[in-house]
Amino acid sequence: MRSYIKYVFVGLLFFKSVLAQNSVDAQLDYANKIFESSKYFDAITEYKRVLFFSSDKKYYSKLYYQIALCYKAGAHLDEAIKYFVLSEKHASNDSLAFNAKIEIIRCNILRKSTARALQLCNELEDDIRFASKKDEIYYWRGWAFMFADDWENAAKCFSQSKDYNELIMLCGQVVKDKVSVTFAKVISYILPGAGQIYSGKIFSGLMSLVWSLAAGYLTVNAFMANRAFDGLLIAELVWLRFYRGNLENAEDFAVEKNMLAANKTLKYLENEYKGVKP
Amino acid sequence: MTKTHIAFMSFFLLIVSIAKSQTNVQSDFFSNNNRLKFANHLYNEKDYLRALGEYKEILKLVDNDTIRFRFANSFLKVGRYDEAAQNFKTLFVSSKLQEEAKFSYYQTLFFSGDYNDFRINYDGGFYLPQKYYKVIDRLNSATYFLQQANLPGESKLIKPFDDSVQTKLIYFSQMIKNPPKKNPVTAALLSAAIPGAGKFYSGEITDGLIALGATLLSGFLAVNNFQNNHQFRGWLFTGLTAFFYGGSIYGSAASAKIYNAKLKSDLNKEIKLYFEERNYFLPKIEL
Amino acid sequence: MKKLVYISFLWASFSFAQTDWQKWEAKDISYLLPAKNEQKLLTRNSSLVGTVLNSLKSVYSFTISNYDGDNCPFTPTCAVFFVESVERTNIAAGILMFADRFTRDMNFLKDTYRYSLHKNGKHFDPPSNYTLNSHQIIFEPEYND
Repeated sequence: MRSYIKYVFVGLLFFKSVLAQNSVDAQLDYANKIFESSKYFDAITEYKRVLFFSSDKKYYSKLYYQIALCYKAGAHLDEAIKYFVLSEKHASNDSLAFNAKIEIIRCNILRKSTARALQLCNELEDDIRFASKKDEIYYWRGWAFMFADDWENAAKCFSQSKDYNELIMLCGQVVKDKVSVTFAKVISYILPGAGQIYSGKIFSGLMSLVWSLAAGYLTVNAFMANRAFDGLLIAELVWLRFYRGNLENAEDFAVEKNMLAANKTLKYLENEYKGVKP
Repeated sequence: MTKTHIAFMSFFLLIVSIAKSQTNVQSDFFSNNNRLKFANHLYNEKDYLRALGEYKEILKLVDNDTIRFRFANSFLKVGRYDEAAQNFKTLFVSSKLQEEAKFSYYQTLFFSGDYNDFRINYDGGFYLPQKYYKVIDRLNSATYFLQQANLPGESKLIKPFDDSVQTKLIYFSQMIKNPPKKNPVTAALLSAAIPGAGKFYSGEITDGLIALGATLLSGFLAVNNFQNNHQFRGWLFTGLTAFFYGGSIYGSAASAKIYNAKLKSDLNKEIKLYFEERNYFLPKIEL
Repeated sequence: MKKLVYISFLWASFSFAQTDWQKWEAKDISYLLPAKNEQKLLTRNSSLVGTVLNSLKSVYSFTISNYDGDNCPFTPTCAVFFVESVERTNIAAGILMFADRFTRDMNFLKDTYRYSLHKNGKHFDPPSNYTLNSHQIIFEPEYND
């Protein structure tokens, strides 16, 4: 009889532990529901609760991952990265580790820490465990370059896979729409206003040209009439001023035009692009 | 009671516990006891806002001094001072933590920045904790240093502090009471006599030199052009001279004002940093 | 002064605060490249002086300042400084303030420690500091974004 009682108690304990496991799963479901209803702050609380009570380490990676996703959704990228790192550390298999690491890269892309994103991409690429996932690494490397306004390198990365034709096209378009800042400045050195006209600001370019010609004429005129003081004054206060302004404008307009081109595509990527985004 | 009875009861217990757990799978996580464990964990991790939420739920069922104190202290830590003060107040009577609560209550008044409210409480002797009397005295002095106004006598102000910091504090109080200000009127008059001299007076040497140079040069050009019968240019440079002269007088007065404001702002920063670095001379209380 | 202490206190407590010490909501992250901030030249004053100033400013921008480059080491630029000075005070005081600024602008040995640096890389020198009203003097620029 006594042994029978023993069995009952052992059974009781066993059921208890199974039930505890079930309750961890149930709590996880509950947290996930809050996550799905976009209440990320509260979802973190619930994930932390599971983390606190769960003695089973198999949950850790998943929980850290979810917490990180919450922070990411709240645009708290530093915290998100902190938790993705924890998730990677506790990952029980390669697939979990890879996903966490990719998320760290995506956060770095979003917070525009490009160097770090690229470094992590390289690490992943060199890791033989992930040899079959090269395409995904190329994909995020391309995104890192796009966020860093380096569209030529982005296009190169995307062209390493067959599946990213739309992105290659988008990058190509930006490269085509961009103008050369150096070229704009150089031609404005030679002919004031030329750089502005090259960037599409025709009126502004003409005004620069007119000012430089007029001030130049007045300066030369003053020197010809032996009014050296006036000549120096006009040269310094008027001519050089507008000449310098012309160079600044040539650069500014080219930069502005390039930014417009880049932002047009970035806006499309943010709002309309259907593929996976960082 | 026979052994069969015991076995039967155990079996019954097992069934009950299974049934109970299945209907109420999550009850474990949200039992008051577990909530408290979790809340304390959050509190120790300095995750105060989340801890607050847990303590709030716990307090609906149990009220004890430590929980209430931590609840209030969480409010203090996240900067919700009114709620912190309210909750500390509930511990003022017949609580084993009443001294700590009173001390923390004064902290909420202090960190909320409402120094007048702090002093009303302090001067009226309301809720002063015996155990932390000297700490509150120091906080009270700190309000005067940080506000830089209506300083009481130096001995009263400095008394609660250790000897080692008194020299510095005396220096602060002297600087607050008698700052080495510049007088804007003096600056303006100086520049009226010699253009730019007022800027020298308020420490802007190069600005003063440029003001002097610009006024003299345009004045010289005005005279020179009149002498050479260039009427238009003469008047043009006369206007420019007046422009620079007026500007230097006005600018000197303004620079004295800025000098004084800078003096105050720098002192303010220095005092703030001094107290901040020493955590306002507060003792460490682990609760 | 009390306000200042108050604000700096709040600032200090927030800057140390953890992300989670205040409840936050979901937030999108913009993909766009950060834009350069432009200085607003026009005044909102609808009086006669305001109108005249605005038309003067428009003509000035349209014919000159758009083409003569970024010559002013200060923010706001001298022209904006003048407009704001007149807005804050009156024509006479505005001209005096502008004359003083113009003189300081000519100072090629600018004591840089005097001015704090604005995020656009220029010396922060707002007209409010020169109205002879101590309460309006600010040393650090405030950013809206």
